[in-house]
Amino acid sequence: MTSADVWLQQLINGLSLGSMYALLALGFTLVYGIMELINFSHFNVFMVGSMIAMLTLEALGVVGQETVLSGFHLASVLLIAFLVVMVTCGGIGVGIERFLLRPLRNVKGPAAMITTIGVAYVLFNVVLITLGTDAKNFPNPLPPIKFEIGGAVLRLREILIWVIAIVLMGGLTYFVQFTKLGKAMRATAQDPDAARMMGVKVDRVIMMAFFVSSALAGASGLIFGLYYNLAKVDIGFSAGLRAFTAAVLGGIGNVPGAMLGGVIIGLIESSAGQIVGTAWTDVVIFSLLVLVLVFRPAGLLGRVAPNKS
Amino acid sequence: MITRRSSFKAAAGIAAAAAVGIEPAFAADKVVKIGINLSLTGADADSAARVANGAILAIDEANAAKSVKGYTFQYVKFDDATATAGQYDPAQAATNARKMVSDKDFVAAIGPQMSGAGKAMAPILSWGDLATITPSSTNPDITDPKFAAQYKPAGKAIYFRTVATDAYQGPNMANYMCDVLKVKTIFVLDDSGAYGVGIADAFQGQAEKRGIKVLGRDRLDPKAADYAAILTKIKSLNPDALYYGGVGQAAVKLMKQSYEIIPNVIKAGGDGIYGADTLKGVGFPAVNGWYATNAGPHVTEDPKAKKFTEDFNKKFNMFPIDYSITAYVGAQVVIAAAKGLVAAGKPVTRATMHEAIGGIKLADSLIGPIEFDENGDVKNKIISVFQVKEDKSKPVDDVDSQFKYIGVAQAVS
Repeated sequence: MTSADVWLQQLINGLSLGSMYALLALGFTLVYGIMELINFSHFNVFMVGSMIAMLTLEALGVVGQETVLSGFHLASVLLIAFLVVMVTCGGIGVGIERFLLRPLRNVKGPAAMITTIGVAYVLFNVVLITLGTDAKNFPNPLPPIKFEIGGAVLRLREILIWVIAIVLMGGLTYFVQFTKLGKAMRATAQDPDAARMMGVKVDRVIMMAFFVSSALAGASGLIFGLYYNLAKVDIGFSAGLRAFTAAVLGGIGNVPGAMLGGVIIGLIESSAGQIVGTAWTDVVIFSLLVLVLVFRPAGLLGRVAPNKS
Repeated sequence: MITRRSSFKAAAGIAAAAAVGIEPAFAADKVVKIGINLSLTGADADSAARVANGAILAIDEANAAKSVKGYTFQYVKFDDATATAGQYDPAQAATNARKMVSDKDFVAAIGPQMSGAGKAMAPILSWGDLATITPSSTNPDITDPKFAAQYKPAGKAIYFRTVATDAYQGPNMANYMCDVLKVKTIFVLDDSGAYGVGIADAFQGQAEKRGIKVLGRDRLDPKAADYAAILTKIKSLNPDALYYGGVGQAAVKLMKQSYEIIPNVIKAGGDGIYGADTLKGVGFPAVNGWYATNAGPHVTEDPKAKKFTEDFNKKFNMFPIDYSITAYVGAQVVIAAAKGLVAAGKPVTRATMHEAIGGIKLADSLIGPIEFDENGDVKNKIISVFQVKEDKSKPVDDVDSQFKYIGVAQAVS
């Protein structure tokens, strides 16, 4: 491997990681943008998503590393898995919002945020008790197709992750920018009271934001499983923390910012592993975060929020 | 877990039996407790269950045979893993050690499974004068006289082992890789835990001494999901081999990803990757080809362990691993110590047991003669080498069938 090949490979690694972080970061950003609430339960909705994805794939007959599918069969299995995971996780998100957060909507202070931390632990422990803590062998239906570019290897799973991430992010951008509901979301984010006066059903908008962000978390759970062939009860905290960092780095509340932040964190993670060693990755990531926040307190693409008094 | 209520019931049962006069000798039996502290949940839960059952089998056998006159042994299981850690948690291990020490009925302990837990427990056990026998924790620091002030502040050896330490496990494997596998260049990783760093350091020292070129050394965060960055770096350095010091949590992810990124590199680890957790979590074919060692002789397939294996399987409906046998022997040592005390007319207390375990001599056990040196280490030190080779006719988690026993790694001369 020449040095150029190594960097190309690290770029591929970083972009794949980054796509996953970006999808997760979008969930934090959507909810924060609308409610100014940091939803920590997002970490474990993602983890639950990867578990549901595993069970769905196994129910569809894909078990372990040996069932390799191709063509139409593969596409339909993946489509079903994505639908099941996104709808169930979206449902979990809506449930969290409707039953646990809505009653706290008008409570001042950190009560709602603490509730989300509590929900994160409840989800964690439910999975812990029902499925156990061992690392699960996540089913892998993808054929082992790979392309060699010089000494670097680009596998089908990387391409798939990029494509899915781009499609989902594009869909979300379209949804937020060009649909009526998206417009209502942006209006609610700017000023919920004014939006309500203009006839926006704020409750519905918030519920929709939870549905979309949790569905994205579920999708990234499935992607995570396909990429690492692994599902484990504790993946939410490590991946979730990085994704949250990505959202803050890009400017929390800002949709393109979350995508940018995710990709940047992914690339830092892979290049730090190459240059200074993986033991230092977290130090590099969080030092950079601190630096960015010192000079741009609202994040890379974020604007200082207008005063909502 | 034995709750207060169930022990009350047991006591009531004994009292009732005494009242009816069925078993007067039994009624007079004093119940003493043996703590079994392992990582019963989390990443290493599967091996922990097998290790615990080894000790339980020995204790149940001793009770059934009434091998120590006037005493009945009761085991109490402690779990040192926590959900937040996902594996062993030193803080929980310390709490468990305090629990045992504060209850005078505990006369000895088996465990812990992990060195990181052992480091937290050793000083507490030392002050509490409660001897423990570990069937699997191999970090040499805990019994090293250099660290006596830290791990046995009360003075006497408190941490006994029925396994060898990583001062042998790492270096002997370095010898094996140099002599048998003809490795010239290597990359070394650890999982930042007490055990992982220790064994990787010991391995690296001997590898360098033997002229293997160490191309790099890095540390994995066991909670991170992605090791592609470091594995790509390893690929670019193109070493003959990779050595990983650490336990299951990082190993599972490392093994999955190294199969994709560096399939042609020789890969090896210590006893932290030897077990059903690894086989099940990684799955075939990714786990194929990995070398692993064990800090004891390989006996589960030995004809002399046949009865043990059958009894174990019948009682617990699972296969034993080699550390089930070191745990079994550990519990036998405890029972033999108590037996010696009773024969000498002494009471079985924590202090007398501590003394007796230190001086124990078992002429023959399933893992050979057992005798401890003044630090608590077993004198008979053997390192076994295994390689994963898929046997499709056997269950994925059948450790004996999937980890092929290769032989004993040459000791450091």
